[in-house]
Parts: sequence; structure tokens; C-alpha cells
Amino acid sequence: MSVTNIDTVDNFVNFIRSPSLAVVHFSAEWAEQCIQVTDILKELSKLPEVQSSGSKFGVCDAENLSEISLQYKVDSVPTVILFKNGSAVDRVDGADAAQITSKVRSQCGAKDLNNASQQPLEERLKALINKHNIMLFMKGTRDSPRCGFSKTIIQILNGTGAQYDTFDILTDEEVRQGLKTYSDWPTYPQLYVKGELIGGLDIIKELQESGDLESTLNA
Amino acid sequence: MSMVYTEEYLKEKLIKELDAVHVEVRDESDGCGAKFSALVVSDRFEGKPPLARQRLVHAALRDELRAVHAFSQRTLTAAQWRARPAPAP
Repeated sequence: MSVTNIDTVDNFVNFIRSPSLAVVHFSAEWAEQCIQVTDILKELSKLPEVQSSGSKFGVCDAENLSEISLQYKVDSVPTVILFKNGSAVDRVDGADAAQITSKVRSQCGAKDLNNASQQPLEERLKALINKHNIMLFMKGTRDSPRCGFSKTIIQILNGTGAQYDTFDILTDEEVRQGLKTYSDWPTYPQLYVKGELIGGLDIIKELQESGDLESTLNA
Repeated sequence: MSMVYTEEYLKEKLIKELDAVHVEVRDESDGCGAKFSALVVSDRFEGKPPLARQRLVHAALRDELRAVHAFSQRTLTAAQWRARPAPAP
């Protein structure tokens, strides 16, 4: 599934009419942030939970469809508006990846690990912590860490050859703040083994220096 | 606007809260107070694994850590500190 180009008012009206989620990106050629949003929407459209919900994604030029932009009070780009049955149910102004991701996910009503509206936070956190024997909550992903500490901890983990899974706390503000409270730990990255908090980069480094890292990971 | 903490302030607080015999705090953020590293030596850490020690430090700096973006720490007991190899000049 990919992003549909909406070039006329009629196309727009038809597009948003559907009972399942229709996400419209108001865009402009000259705005660099719109490229980011286009990428985000492309990635979201590939998620299995999004595909199975029948959600669709469209992009329109905010200046060309100026009467639509006016109607929905779109005064800057990029703006993403989520529609169901012809009405706007939510929106994100600006290229806020975390918000766009979480709103699309919750609006498409997906029943999975990451659906905030269907599961109380504590249950979600418990499920996420236990998703893998070795679970790392970090900024960014294993292949693109977004902070120095996260990058270093990935390097150390990769060095041990252990199998682990990661969660990008930049994509989910609720988990990001909720986990800090739940585990009473103020910073990221956070490493869990068999559901138990081991600590952050400092502790992993200490374990590595004392030679205890492998045994901790294989506990 | 979040508070900007100085090295001195954090050091004093750690000494007070944790009965520390030696504390070093370094501002790693070019003075904007967003990123710190700390070395804390205290016998309160005796018998505690690294995780528990770090929690003591977090508790001592609970309010301050909310304003800081990144924080790294080393926690040692007085005996461990004395036993450290001499630092490079």
C-alpha cells in the first residue's frame, strides 16, 4: 500500500468518505519537512496492523486545494489530518513523527502490543518489557541510534553476540514517560533481562569491565 | 524554563545526601547544564549492587535529574576508591 495523490476537490471528498481511517497529508513542494512526513506515512502504511485495518494514506498540495485547506484551517505545512466517515477525528500540525505515529495507530483501531487506547499503560509496559529475554529501550533503532549513549550500548550488546530486541522510545511518548515512572529510572537507554531492569549504559559498562556482562545477559 | 544546575551545586547536594567522602561532577554540556557526569564515593554504597547504588544517586538528585538531559555516573565505596589504580597524569 502506498500514498495516494489527491489532486481535485472531488477526489478529496471521496477519499475521506470511507468509514475506515483516511490520513491526508497537506503538503507543499517547497517545504522540506513534508518529505519527512511523506516518509513517515509510507512506513506507517506498511505496518501489518495498519494494512489489516483498511486504512489509507493520501497527500494533497495545500496550495492547489486551497479551499480544502481553508475549510480545515490548514495554515501551515506539513499538516496531517485523520478522517473517518468524512469527518476529521484528529490532526498533527508539523512534522512530529511521534504524534503522527501514535495517532494513526490508535485511530486505525489496531489490536496489538502498541495500541494505547485499548490497553492500560501498565499492562502495555509489562508486555513490552517481556517481549524478549533481552529488551533494550533506546532512542532510535538498532541500526540508527539517535543518541550517543544508545549508540554505545548497542555496540556493547552487539559485541557480546547476544540476541536482543529494541524499542524506540522516541516513537511513543506514553511509553517514554511511563516507563521512567514504572521502573523508577529517569534516563534512557534502559536494558531489561527476563523482565528485570539491569540499568543503563553506566551499569552495562561496569558489568563489561568486571566480566559479568555475558552471565547477566544469559541469566 | 528549566533550572540550570552548576557542578558545585550538584556536588554539594551529593555530599550532603549521600555522606559522600569524595565527589566529582563534570558539566559535559559546555555549561548549559543539560549533561553531567558524576563520580560519587560513599560508604552508603557498601554491599549494594550497581543498580541499587545508582538508585541512591537518583534519589539524591531526584528534582535535578528532571531538568537534565543526560547523566552518567560511577559509584564507589571508600575502599574501592582507595584501591583504584593511579589515574594517568
